Amino acid sequence: MTTQIPPRRKYFEESWPPVRGEYAVGDPNAGVAVVTLASQLRVRGAAISGPCKTENLGVEKIVANVVSNCNIRFILLCGAESKGHLPGNTLLALHRNGIDEQGRIVGSKGAIPFIQNLMPDAIMRFQEQVQLIDFIGLEDEAKIAEIVEIYNSRAEPYPMEPFQVLKKKAHAKVILAGEGDLLLGCGVVMDTAAWLVVADAAGEV
Amino acid sequence: MFRFKREQFVVNVGGVKFGGQPGELATVLCGTIFYQGHKIVQDEERGAFDRAAADLLVARQAELSEETGNPAVLHLYARTIEALEKYLAFAEQAWAGPVIIDSADGAVRAGGAAMVSEIGFADKVIYNSISVATSRTEAQAIKDSEVDSAILLAYHPTDSGVDGMLQVLEGGAAMAEKGLILLAEDLGITNKLIDPGVVPMGSGAGASLRFSTVAKARLGLPVGSGIHNAVSAWPWLRQKDKATGKCCDGAASAMQILAAGDFLLYGPIENAGFIFPAAAMADILVAEAVHDLDNEPMPSHPINRLV
Repeated sequence: MTTQIPPRRKYFEESWPPVRGEYAVGDPNAGVAVVTLASQLRVRGAAISGPCKTENLGVEKIVANVVSNCNIRFILLCGAESKGHLPGNTLLALHRNGIDEQGRIVGSKGAIPFIQNLMPDAIMRFQEQVQLIDFIGLEDEAKIAEIVEIYNSRAEPYPMEPFQVLKKKAHAKVILAGEGDLLLGCGVVMDTAAWLVVADAAGEV
Repeated sequence: MFRFKREQFVVNVGGVKFGGQPGELATVLCGTIFYQGHKIVQDEERGAFDRAAADLLVARQAELSEETGNPAVLHLYARTIEALEKYLAFAEQAWAGPVIIDSADGAVRAGGAAMVSEIGFADKVIYNSISVATSRTEAQAIKDSEVDSAILLAYHPTDSGVDGMLQVLEGGAAMAEKGLILLAEDLGITNKLIDPGVVPMGSGAGASLRFSTVAKARLGLPVGSGIHNAVSAWPWLRQKDKATGKCCDGAASAMQILAAGDFLLYGPIENAGFIFPAAAMADILVAEAVHDLDNEPMPSHPINRLV
């Protein structure tokens, strides 16, 4: 009789990271992701690293790519903060406070800190899975590599399945055609509310 | 390639006209100088830059504007108020047309509004921008200034569709007390330019194009965008050579014009060399397409200069 070995749990899908962006993928088995904010830095030893300049779409991409890899338990925030947008401050606020009913990241000082494409359970998972290490302002690549190494040694995979962030689908709307407000000539009009092009039966408009 | 049933307002800032029916006025092209990472900037905090290089870039944009008939605007981006002061001093000397003042920092924008009022430059300035992120402090600074032209950024942070953008402008977006049009009027903005706020492709960039047509049909105000942001934020394209990138940038600009855009925030001023021809070509094609719809091109339109 042979002993069945349970299949090794998958910590991330082969297609990881699921969301495209301006980042470099390192070792997906590493425990640290590095966000270099507005700085372009070479990062060694991280699972994924790259800049983040916006306090809304950029932050969403980080969450999506982090929670889909259970190995990532730490996010190192470093590099220069992006002025006005403040994605570093916003990531810290998201992790600490989450979002309100309107999707606003509570406590962020960024310009337009809203989450559009993440469901609340993705944010809860983000809060639970990772710790944020705040080194905002640090641009010394050697020092960053040291910190990554330290936290990689402390990381144990998150004991759940990888979390796949599904983009919220826009609900289809039935739009009733109204008056043609845009004239294409030859009796053809467009109703820009419904985005419908129609030929007027009478011919001339 | 159409005519709007609604009357189309024409906005005049420092002698440059924005708006109108498609094919009437040439698209206004706004090139950005001193942007983040601009090589001619030596110290973005203090506003130190290579003056000779800046002169060349600005002169090139002016030449292309003269040649094609597409009016031009100088878009100044500043990280600090100290830098903005130096950039404005440069613009006063080197540039005859309107200027957009812009920063990621609301305090810098607000300081800029006060500064241009003090130096008597406000009538040539377009404030970029009034948005859902405009704080009360910033709003008060605009109100206290002599700035009367602004870009209204219709970016809706949780609904990137056309409906969401319209809500931001007209009221009804939950995160704002009032719509941006009403807010801008309260702040003394008479020249309102609409910008959907282009997000990356994959996040809804295409909606900006449909929004342009819808907003003009509904509001009659000049509309434009920084459609180049959709191109520059496309990771796939970054792997390609520069010529491919320029081709996509030019194509995106032409698409914005075809969607009834009145102005283009075309990005780095270095791109003027290929953006002006692409925009002029799109303007000519649109003007030809609507010539029998009573949309008469102005004498300075590219169709009257280049063909």
